[in-house]
Amino acid sequence: MSDPAPVIAARTPKWIVGYLFVAPAVLLMGAGLIYPVVQGLLLSMQDWAIGTPMSTAEFIGAENFLRMLGDENVQESMWVTFKFGFFTITIEMTLGIALALLLEKPIRGASIFRTIFIMPLMISPVVVGLVWRYLYDARAGWINHYLELAGFEPLIWLGEPHLAFFAIVFTDIWQWTPFVFIIVIAGLQALPSEVLEASRIDGANTWQQIFLVKLPMIRSILIIALLLRLIDVFKGLEVMLIMTEGGPGLATELLSLHVYKTAFDAQQLGYAAAISVLLLLIVFALSLAILLISNPMKTRADV
Amino acid sequence: MKAKFRYLGLVALAVAVALTLGASAALANPYAKYKGKTLVVSWPSNSHFKKAKQLVAEFTRETGIKVEIDYSQYLKMRNRQILEMSKRDGDFDVVAWVVMWKGEYVAKGLLTPLSQFFTSPAFVDPNYDIDDIADAYIQNGGIVGGKKGYLPGKSGALYGLPFGAETSILAYRKDVFQKLGLAVPKTYADVRKAAKTIKEKTGMGGLTMRGKTGHQVTAAWLFHAAPMGARVFDDKWQPVFNSPAGVKTAEFLRETVKYGPRGIPSYSYGEASKAFLHGDAAMYIDSLKIAARARDPKQSKVVGKVGYALHPTDVQCGSETGGFAMGIPANSKNKEAAFLFIQWMTSKKADRRIVELGGDPIRISTLTDPVFSKKFPEYPVIAEQLKCADPDWRPLIPEWNELNIKVLGIALHEVLTSDKPIKPLLDKAAVKARAVMKREGYYRWQSK
Repeated sequence: MSDPAPVIAARTPKWIVGYLFVAPAVLLMGAGLIYPVVQGLLLSMQDWAIGTPMSTAEFIGAENFLRMLGDENVQESMWVTFKFGFFTITIEMTLGIALALLLEKPIRGASIFRTIFIMPLMISPVVVGLVWRYLYDARAGWINHYLELAGFEPLIWLGEPHLAFFAIVFTDIWQWTPFVFIIVIAGLQALPSEVLEASRIDGANTWQQIFLVKLPMIRSILIIALLLRLIDVFKGLEVMLIMTEGGPGLATELLSLHVYKTAFDAQQLGYAAAISVLLLLIVFALSLAILLISNPMKTRADV
Repeated sequence: MKAKFRYLGLVALAVAVALTLGASAALANPYAKYKGKTLVVSWPSNSHFKKAKQLVAEFTRETGIKVEIDYSQYLKMRNRQILEMSKRDGDFDVVAWVVMWKGEYVAKGLLTPLSQFFTSPAFVDPNYDIDDIADAYIQNGGIVGGKKGYLPGKSGALYGLPFGAETSILAYRKDVFQKLGLAVPKTYADVRKAAKTIKEKTGMGGLTMRGKTGHQVTAAWLFHAAPMGARVFDDKWQPVFNSPAGVKTAEFLRETVKYGPRGIPSYSYGEASKAFLHGDAAMYIDSLKIAARARDPKQSKVVGKVGYALHPTDVQCGSETGGFAMGIPANSKNKEAAFLFIQWMTSKKADRRIVELGGDPIRISTLTDPVFSKKFPEYPVIAEQLKCADPDWRPLIPEWNELNIKVLGIALHEVLTSDKPIKPLLDKAAVKARAVMKREGYYRWQSK
């Protein structure tokens, strides 16, 4: 034991060293990630109201989950979330990629356009919610003002279910298309010029270049953008909270907003935790599915 | 016990020193003992409480008790207060609550009963005259545990005093009514007729109203339900908002959207009052706070054109009672000074000062003062209105928030935005409401 270092090095199997190196990271992840999730799971099996001591919370097993299965409002807001996710992500990905392809070339003023395009991204969601709430205002909003000037019937944007849903989808697209755009353009600019040149020499036209060369080459980046957007859709609530508070009826009540309302308006923390567990499972399943179809890390490893 | 006796001599000495040094001051001034202490006050950041800031400065100047005000947006205030009050050492010495929260606060053991101060002559200002404070305000904001848990009654107790409390009145455009030869509405039938006439003849909205999903549209229903004789629950906590009177109230909401300013289904309180202040609606039935705003040229395009009248009646007279009351958290360490602060802020003198500063009074003597009535034409109306203000216009139970936002607030919004028959919509909501009440144990004492 007088000379420990070489002894350990000689006796410990090599694989332990690797684990030792990742141990700090794993511990940190455990504290920062696993602990809250476990706490959330525990809370989802209790009946606890804000303002009462945690020790008085009653353990009720799976009751919250059973209640959730029969809760129409949860089903409704799940459906709203899926619809919202489908429309926003499809349009944001398409628009973002299209814009990136357009502004990829060094045209005059490209940097100005790029800066303008990513501006919505820099605005805090609370401000976005307020700005659009006033733009959509039925009586004094800009949108109705110009609709009237153009001779159209003004609409009650945030007061009718379909219009309000359209309004939050549009706002989300306005804010998050730049995110897709910025990621895709970074990917495009990192593409090796030789490959593009080779394809041009082989006679590929612009469309073929885009669909057969460029997009496949940035596939892993697209997947990551898609994943991040997907997670954001299930997390996002600030904009809707401010614009519509989930209304009219439940037309814009995304699942995360439903969790918020259950926790802070109805003050049922246990039940809210149960719905968040459901939310977690959905996001987990969707992410896993996407990664199974195409894992960006795996392709990296192959290279 | 022994340890206490050991200190007794020391305490006696300290008392003797205090008596000789500051006897005259301490006896003359009930505040002196707390001079230099700092009270932390949790207040909503609305206009009344913002204007009361000046009054607080005057309190500090007069008493030497320092006050730190923690302003928060009123809808966010509840979580903040509950969090502080449920800690072992909370930061707040005084909290102002929206009257809706009082039952929950007391049920969770978070407040101090004020009786422990009102029993002590050392604390009670002999000129306080609690009977001068509008009865409806005290009942609504301060008393917990009586009939139904939130109304006065033998089991009830006083936990807070009103400050920034309000009722509802009718505000109308004098010029529009005069031009069309309409009489000032006294009943809901008059309101309906006037709204229709105004919309059809001028294109202007008749009555403005809150209509956004959740507690806003429910508030609109409640405002009109009280005079129309509709209630949310009967005496046995069975939901009855789907009664004929409840359906009639909902019909009135639907009609108001039709003849009202554009966009009612998206209006929260702010948008609803702005429609009136910007001249897009001729009538307003909601909080009396409209009067101060209608006078302010920065907010109002209708300065000088607004008249005030009693909240219209239908089968009965009944206006809202709401706003705020102030009380002392159970975990405050400065309860005595906190009581002195609340008493001072709601005293006759302060009530007049707050009016001069632009806030709302709670005392009948202030409301009926001829000097103020001349300046504020709504004051005599409010003093009259308070006689039939309804402390039971909405159930102030802890579950109300959930019912309000997640049950009634959704069903009523569907009433506004669809043509569906109203009764089935409300029936469906009643089933949901009953489930919530059952879950919370309201039917445990009833057979079946």
